[in-house]
Amino acid sequence: MALKAIWRRLTPLDRLVVLILLLGVGAAFVLVGQRPRGAQVVVEQGGRVVFTAPLRDDRTVGLPGPHGETVVAIRHGRACIAAASCPNKVCMGMGEVSRRGELIACVPNALVLHIEGDAGDEAKDYDLLSR
Amino acid sequence: MTSSAVDPAELERIRRRIFLALFIALAVALHTLEALLPSPAPWFRLGFANILTLTALFLYGGRAAWSVTLARIAVGSLFLGTLFSPGFLLSLSGGVAAVALMTGARALAGPRLGPVGVSVLGAAGHAAGQVLIAWLLLIRHDGIWTLFPFLLLFSLGTGIANGVAADLLLELLRAHPAFAGQGAPPPGEGAA
Repeated sequence: MALKAIWRRLTPLDRLVVLILLLGVGAAFVLVGQRPRGAQVVVEQGGRVVFTAPLRDDRTVGLPGPHGETVVAIRHGRACIAAASCPNKVCMGMGEVSRRGELIACVPNALVLHIEGDAGDEAKDYDLLSR
Repeated sequence: MTSSAVDPAELERIRRRIFLALFIALAVALHTLEALLPSPAPWFRLGFANILTLTALFLYGGRAAWSVTLARIAVGSLFLGTLFSPGFLLSLSGGVAAVALMTGARALAGPRLGPVGVSVLGAAGHAAGQVLIAWLLLIRHDGIWTLFPFLLLFSLGTGIANGVAADLLLELLRAHPAFAGQGAPPPGEGAA
């Protein structure tokens, strides 16, 4: 067995290190998973806010950039880049975001999309727009 | 004319220097080839070049590991055209964090810690160093840390793979007379 051969190559301290790091990964996932859900999507371009929308309404919007249009989609309370004109499409590969503080960046189009606010208090939604 | 009476210490020094240069050349090649591979997201690198750093660390010690990594990042970035770009900064910070952890762990634990353990520590250090510098200098945003658990998990896998590869390479090299007497464990005793 290949796995057994790998296991035999490990010294006891190696196994301990791997175990501790595995626990660390678990702890990191738990810590990040605890982040509260956000309330709205904010898109910045070159440090300027160009688009904001609440996460609870489904919508799709196209935003112009130096490389062409970037399509931001909000669906089922999650935001993602649905289509991008940049060459490598890294931003599309970053998936969906819904938790506060999460972000998607599209470097060629100088676009940063992030989630703000707290889903708990809806009343504060519009106060955040003026920040 | 024939120089049969070569000082053995001098011979050893030259041999060491040549092998170190070969390790650096191989590390640069792996670093450059790896950049050609598609990656799911930025920063998810396989870190094959670390195999050579590990080999240098276990055969020739901490200083050699530092030279292999720093030279590899400098020359590799020159080849890729990313020298002094943000990507280079991340690569450098990850590399420095990784080697600092690896040499430190090797110095502290000695032969009790094998190549796999050192490799895994280095990979985790690389991930942590990169995200920390990215957060400090490039994207001052807490959202970047959501990427961290995935990066750490990925680095654990590549760390084990690279460690096993380095162990195999070390076993192969130590069986060769050119490397007799280098590194801690004698030939045939890769895993104690």
